[in-house]
Amino acid sequence: MKTVLAVVAVTVALAAAAAAQGTGEDPAQVVGAPRGPRLEGPALDARAKEIAGLLRCPVCQGLSVGDSPSTMASNMRAQVKDLAAAGYDQEQILAYFERSYGEFVRLKPPLRGVNWLVWLAPAFGLLAGAAVIAWALRAPRLVADAAPPTGAALPGPDTLPDDPSLARYVLRVRERAYGWPGGMAPRPDAPPADTV
Amino acid sequence: MTASAGRILILLALLVSAAGAMAGFAAGRSGSAAGWRVTRGLAYAFAALMAAANGLMVWALLARDFSVSYVAHVGSRSIPDWVAFVSLWSSLEGSILFWGLVMGVYVTVATRANRDRHPEYMPYACAVWLACGTFFSFLLAGPAQPFLTVPNPPPDGPGPNPLLQNHVLMIVHPPFLYLGYVGMTIPFGLASAALLRGRLGQDFLRPLRNWLLLPWIFLTVAIVLGAWWAYEVLGWGGYWAWDPVENASFLPWLTATAALHSALLTERKGVLKGWTVTLVLASFLLTILGTFMTRSGVFNSVHSFTQSAIGPTILGFLALALVWSVWLLATGIDRFSTEGRLEGAASRDGMFLANNLLFVLFTFTVLIGTVFPLVVEATKGVQMSVGRPYFDRMAVPIGVALLLLMGVGPALPWGRATAAQMKAALLPPLAGGLLAAAVGAALGVRQPWTLVALSFGGYTAQVTLRELWRPVARRRALGAALGEAVLDAQVRRGRRRAAAYVVHAGAALAVVAIAVSSTMGTSKELQLREGDTATVGAYTLTFVKAEELREPHRSALVARIHVARGGRDLGVLTPRMNQYESQREPVGTPAVRTSLFEDLYLSVMNIDPGQGTLGLLAMVNPMVAWIWGAAAVMALGGLAALVPSRGVAPAAVRAGAPSPASSRVPAQG
Amino acid sequence: MAASAGSPAVQTPARASLNRRVLLLGLVVVAALLAVLLLNLGRDPHSIRSPLVGRAAPAFSLPPVGGGAPVTSESLRGRPLVLNFWATWCAPCIEEHETLVSTARALGRDVQFLGVVYEDEEDRVQVFLRRHGSSYPSLLDPDAKTAIAYGVAGVPETYFIDAAGVIRAKVAYPLSPEAMAENIRKVRP
Repeated sequence: MKTVLAVVAVTVALAAAAAAQGTGEDPAQVVGAPRGPRLEGPALDARAKEIAGLLRCPVCQGLSVGDSPSTMASNMRAQVKDLAAAGYDQEQILAYFERSYGEFVRLKPPLRGVNWLVWLAPAFGLLAGAAVIAWALRAPRLVADAAPPTGAALPGPDTLPDDPSLARYVLRVRERAYGWPGGMAPRPDAPPADTV
Repeated sequence: MTASAGRILILLALLVSAAGAMAGFAAGRSGSAAGWRVTRGLAYAFAALMAAANGLMVWALLARDFSVSYVAHVGSRSIPDWVAFVSLWSSLEGSILFWGLVMGVYVTVATRANRDRHPEYMPYACAVWLACGTFFSFLLAGPAQPFLTVPNPPPDGPGPNPLLQNHVLMIVHPPFLYLGYVGMTIPFGLASAALLRGRLGQDFLRPLRNWLLLPWIFLTVAIVLGAWWAYEVLGWGGYWAWDPVENASFLPWLTATAALHSALLTERKGVLKGWTVTLVLASFLLTILGTFMTRSGVFNSVHSFTQSAIGPTILGFLALALVWSVWLLATGIDRFSTEGRLEGAASRDGMFLANNLLFVLFTFTVLIGTVFPLVVEATKGVQMSVGRPYFDRMAVPIGVALLLLMGVGPALPWGRATAAQMKAALLPPLAGGLLAAAVGAALGVRQPWTLVALSFGGYTAQVTLRELWRPVARRRALGAALGEAVLDAQVRRGRRRAAAYVVHAGAALAVVAIAVSSTMGTSKELQLREGDTATVGAYTLTFVKAEELREPHRSALVARIHVARGGRDLGVLTPRMNQYESQREPVGTPAVRTSLFEDLYLSVMNIDPGQGTLGLLAMVNPMVAWIWGAAAVMALGGLAALVPSRGVAPAAVRAGAPSPASSRVPAQG
Repeated sequence: MAASAGSPAVQTPARASLNRRVLLLGLVVVAALLAVLLLNLGRDPHSIRSPLVGRAAPAFSLPPVGGGAPVTSESLRGRPLVLNFWATWCAPCIEEHETLVSTARALGRDVQFLGVVYEDEEDRVQVFLRRHGSSYPSLLDPDAKTAIAYGVAGVPETYFIDAAGVIRAKVAYPLSPEAMAENIRKVRP
């Protein structure tokens, strides 16, 4: 009787172990024991969907496993769901697929080695750009003076401002607005300006 | 026969464009009017030859002349005529031929419109255009020949890629894209001319700005059409995946938008000429990079054409164009005169600089993300991906910041503002922001970024409406009737300004709609048997039956699904799986029911009429239609800005050479 | 815009200038971009290299076609193994089938050959094998878990595993007799 019970117990244990193994490979051998709690129901669905969005479908071009309609993607989604249900966390599940497919399968570049460049580059760009603007705004050429010019510095009809670039500007305005060739007021006896 | 005629046309186009480029550079240096005339003639000849080549190809496609290699590649007797016509641009060689046609049209219009103007710039500009034309003719004569003779013409051909026959949007997306892409050549030529001359005058800014705006409008529409097409055709329920080729179309749009704003600052204040020109050059260079990305086979993409020898050739042209641009900038940029000054950061000037910073940052980020896998591959030999999660993470803050900037920028005055002015300008729109956020929260929005986007959108909306109203209010205060005030302020005089605010309104709406549609949707995977009912969102779906359908060029498995909402019957949707004769894998077509506030999106995952089973992906996507509408608003605003405003005519003021004391230039709104 | 009357006055550009900073910065950016693109030309972006080469082959326990006890990877330890993922709907798989069958027959007990069916149905596989013959068993992998573990992205894909259970080569295209011989040498010196 005890022998029979022992045999039954061992058989049951073996069967349970076999069932737990599924088709043979235990993911814990690859990524370690599950680090998170077992999930089920809507929490499981949400977590599986989130992780499926981070895996690249290897047979499609650029789509995530979550978005891809292909059969391979739906198999991968099922595998993601099984792993999440067993309590593996996001990094473990991603690492499991990375073992088989390479870093290629992760849509979000993991933070290691040279990948830091792509994550930090935009921040560097922002700082660099802001620095350039700050420098440009400080350069006296570009930024307006604190107080606008008054009195003698303003041009009259027969005078031009001292500043040469300002003078050129005034001449051009007169040329365009009044049709004065070269921006100089025509002499009373001069022929009329060309119709343009 | 047809093939040889086509080859001759292409060869002639190559010779003519090369000659025209040389003539243009010579005419630019010598200043000869006769030289300019010759250049113009060669430009028109190039366009005519390209048009003829395209016409010949269309004829060959419609006639199913399989002795022409391109027709043998994409033609088919079992496709309808409109598909045969559209296959002109469906595959590589034909698309380059179409590029040539669009370029010919652009060069003709731009040359003719400016034949008597800007004589010191135009020959150079035309020369640059024709140099680009030479390159594309060379592609058609060498690596990408569409008119090769097929020695034993087959009785039938495979037809174009079935994905391209699935939807009407396929007819419109590529032409708009080409109109946008190729159009960037024109401002490139104009900017090159300015750098060669060492001058960028106010008068030349106007054509530069307009010829940048026109392709920008087309590119805006093209990008959104591409997203719409992906949404309606690909079946995963989204519209943008940051695929390398999507990014290729987006990059020049970003720099062109920055350039349009920078050009405004240059026009107003005479500053940043070199920077504006740099952005214009960059927009063109990015289109060449984009062409390389699409056609070289180097990038892993949904969109890629087949790998071919064309890649190295385009890379060579890109290298040439890059070196040319750098050389022009290095030698020309210091010769530009600065005529004005910028105010500090806390003014509208500063906000324009912020705009440029954000757009350039956006461009840089998308470019880095797209190219990074190549860098890692080349240096470490490791294959890695930079996908949607990365781009979304980067794009959201930048997009939201731009949304806010569209409100803060126009709110601030041009000059240095006092604290009181700033408060009066920046604080009241907060009401709009809070209102929008409250409405969103009431409707169930909980994501922080979406709420932020909504509040910034409300802020910007209030500023935009206020700025649109201000000139009208001013005229009314002077005694005008409402209708007359609006007409005068927005249509007659201030059209460019009003149009710009319309574009901003469209852009703000697009950003908010993208934020809402990406975060507030629901989606379910359903396994149904015939007769089953399921609910998604507020909709009740009943799977009636799965049936098989035969069409001339494809067979389809169709799922008939009854849709109801709140008890009301909304009809039948029929998502399907199409099986094309020439392809092994079936191609799914989703069914989308668009209503004002949301889309019901159904996509077949698997279907079996024999067993009566259906695997269905059902999604409710809010505010998607608003994205398409917003793009239309942006395009219309852009078009309105192109129409010249009736300004103060110089001749009217000239009579009697008035003294400055008595004449007044009317204040701009 | 009004045109200017008479012939255009050509303005000689102001003194020639060269902004060295712009030149240097521009050329650096251009060189970097071109280098990246050039180095990647000719590479096929759709071929994914396997990270499993040189590492332990994932374990499996799969039922054979036609029924019977599951075949485990454990039981195959000690002999080199050629693991071929295939399907009846895959034309290149049918091409290489002949090569696989004859090589398996020739090598006999020296090397174990196994097929793993990918996204296909048992009865179709049985019809195929009856028609084309076979000299080694094929296993069923209905939920594709083993395919996923091996990083299969399409068919045919063949893994060459040595006697210690380490993957020595992965071939993602149909095997010609020459390629077969070359890869067999890697697991059976």
